[in-house]
Amino acid sequence: MRIDNVAAWRSGFLALGLMCATAGTAAGQWLSVPVAGTPRTADGKPNLNAPAPRVADGKPDLSGIWRADTMRYNDNLLPPGTQAPMLPWAAELYKHRVDTRGFDRPMTYCMPHGVPDAMTVAGLPFKILQTPGDTVVLYEEFHKYRQIHTDGRKLPVDPDPAWYGYSVGRWEGETFVVDTAGFKEGSWLDNSGHPHTEALHTTERFHRINFGRMDLQVTVNDAKAYSRPWTSDTMHFLLQPDTELLEHLCENNRDLVSLQQYYQGRGQGAPPTTGKK
Amino acid sequence: MRTRLAIVVMCAAALAASERALAHHSFAAEFDETKPVKLTGTVTKVEWANPHIWFFMDVKNQDGSTTNWGFEMGGTGQLVRAGWKRDSMKLGDVVTVEARRARDGSNRANAQTVVLNNTGQRLFAGSSQGQQ
Repeated sequence: MRIDNVAAWRSGFLALGLMCATAGTAAGQWLSVPVAGTPRTADGKPNLNAPAPRVADGKPDLSGIWRADTMRYNDNLLPPGTQAPMLPWAAELYKHRVDTRGFDRPMTYCMPHGVPDAMTVAGLPFKILQTPGDTVVLYEEFHKYRQIHTDGRKLPVDPDPAWYGYSVGRWEGETFVVDTAGFKEGSWLDNSGHPHTEALHTTERFHRINFGRMDLQVTVNDAKAYSRPWTSDTMHFLLQPDTELLEHLCENNRDLVSLQQYYQGRGQGAPPTTGKK
Repeated sequence: MRTRLAIVVMCAAALAASERALAHHSFAAEFDETKPVKLTGTVTKVEWANPHIWFFMDVKNQDGSTTNWGFEMGGTGQLVRAGWKRDSMKLGDVVTVEARRARDGSNRANAQTVVLNNTGQRLFAGSSQGQQ
């Protein structure tokens, strides 16, 4: 039943969502702060169709404030109509999360979204800062950041598990390829609740189409949770011109107690959050 | 300008109604899309904070008693980007709220639209605008 509802919402809001994603800027409702280096049309408006900017060495520059063009990826990373090849325990946990409407997702506890879905929260943009040795992602949600090392180092052999893992990036032509491993269990791959273990290895492929658009695909490889690697839907991000990130700290989380009481009262509390038995 | 405002309000309302575009927690887990409620009352408290703004108002019941209701909205950045200011709604303002009730039956709800009665100004509640 829940899945049916989700599908209905998706189809119903997709077109409107696209319009709204651009209308916000057009209506000047977002904070307006002229950003230097923004290509502009003759009337002074940001030219989102201008070519992607480049850094000194000629590589594309991913820097900018972005947000997803839809909440669909945040809800479910997979292409519509497809399912992840979950191992039985993962499928069982996923079903529990769907059945309980995701009440115990990490964000309920003010833990952030993970890799890659922290970038898919459409209402909370993120900022990419591309520097010679690191590409840094600043997430507005909960005021978090993530580092992607681009100085040629390899992934560590035995990293301490971390929420965002350990990331290294390289360029393959016009595509920024980011490998991440060393994840800590706990984050959900998406709000539907696709799980992962510490064996997770993600490969993200970023491609800035032009000044205003960037695409991303992520391949999820976690042999302890999935029978084979799988690749997300192609996610689209829209540059948010002439604006800035705002503070978003978790200081007024009134929902947690209510949710815990409600679901524990229904005997659905204290669900398994990892694959460990 | 009027057209632009209309688009923003429509988008806000639509996104507010979309349970997929909800707050940092799961909207569907806490609130029931099938239980709309429309209430008018006097604002008693505004918590302008993240991850959610909450405001409270006294609502007079038919028997003359008063019930204090709590309403969840989006985060501060979300509402600022939708045109709110932190003092758009003041203590003592009479407002009319359209919302979805909490599943637990308490006097809490997720606000979707807020109208200031003295001016008729319609404020987007922002609870659901893609801040999942």
